[in-house]
Amino acid sequence: MKSDSMHQNGHHSDADQHTPWLEWIAAGAGLLLAVCMFGFIGWQALNDATSPPVITVETTDVDPVAGGYRVMFQARNAGGAAAAQVRIEGTLAVGSRPPEVSSVILDYIPGQSAREGGLFFMQDPRSGNLTLRASGFGKP
Amino acid sequence: MARDDSLLETNKDYAIGLGRAFGGAVLFAIPLLMTMEMWWLGFSMGRGRLLLFMALNFAILVGLSYFAGFEKTFSWKEDVMDALAAFGVGLVTSALMLTLLAVITLDMTWNEIVGKVALQSVPASIGAMLGRKQLGAEQDTRSEEDRKREAGYGGELFLMMAGALFLAFNVAPTEEMILIAFQMSPLHALALGGASIFLLHVFVYAVGFSGQESRPEGGTFLPTFLHFTVAGYGIALLVSLYVLWTFGRTDGVAPAEIASMVVVLGFPASLGAAMARLVI
Repeated sequence: MKSDSMHQNGHHSDADQHTPWLEWIAAGAGLLLAVCMFGFIGWQALNDATSPPVITVETTDVDPVAGGYRVMFQARNAGGAAAAQVRIEGTLAVGSRPPEVSSVILDYIPGQSAREGGLFFMQDPRSGNLTLRASGFGKP
Repeated sequence: MARDDSLLETNKDYAIGLGRAFGGAVLFAIPLLMTMEMWWLGFSMGRGRLLLFMALNFAILVGLSYFAGFEKTFSWKEDVMDALAAFGVGLVTSALMLTLLAVITLDMTWNEIVGKVALQSVPASIGAMLGRKQLGAEQDTRSEEDRKREAGYGGELFLMMAGALFLAFNVAPTEEMILIAFQMSPLHALALGGASIFLLHVFVYAVGFSGQESRPEGGTFLPTFLHFTVAGYGIALLVSLYVLWTFGRTDGVAPAEIASMVVVLGFPASLGAAMARLVI
């Protein structure tokens, strides 16, 4: 195979003279996005992105459903790093009976973010003492 | 503003190239857009590593623009502009697709959204860059061949590196990579390494694909093997190690396990290296 250096010389000089304005727009938009993206991630890298997870759980809603009661919750990770396999445990103490425990595992809670979930109980959480907490996590 | 005909023509050409870039971005990014580990890695991987990965991706985009961009490029300025445009197309495509797939929603924090979009933009932007080549009707194959020839051995190695990175990146995020490494015995690892080298050699130098590398003039088996196949496999292994490190798979893992993960990932990586010149 021989190289043919003449095959697009005409095209060369044309394109050298006018870069289409659309190309400037596309490249400019790309540059803007790149700068924002690199800036944001760089800022994250320097600010608290690695502080270990701190997870708080709060109840958002309690409803009677078929077979018991459903407690919706929001688990918020105030730390910078993501937490994996977060175990959320709810303990419901009604009267003097042994407490009822339900738990769920959330796959991931990113840093500075929240995830929602729900727990089911047999007894009415509103008539007893309900505590929700994160009992553990793994590093992703 | 007065425009002559040729200017209008090139704007139209560029718009078509941009359209193909979007097509390529969706096509090349789809497997990873639908991989859940990629969503998680987007917010959980080290920020420094993500930055380094994106910077490296940009350098590769500039190189790919030289060999096979969505526009015929003639200078460094044009290559960088094309890389920026491909980067933008990749970001926009992954943001739109992730929104469409409900992977990112408005109630997520910016940390999470930006992390996910940034990581997905890597395969999408490479797809955008290759879009013109793969989806384009009129390819300037001859000028590409010229460039590959001019770039010489270094260019060959660059293309192998880009191909290895792309394919390794496509499978590296999944848990299966680690699982496979764990369940393989050392004998399996040796066999897989041997198969990688064999396929790398056969795919590029023995089977008659178009765009196949011809052996150097008067080259016998051994020099060709050492120059391209062994070098290519070395690149595949290094790329695999880099990708595993980027995704935090090597943290706190024993060297023996890392070696076996590198061999596992080295298999797709060396296929990617072999295919690079056929695709690009």
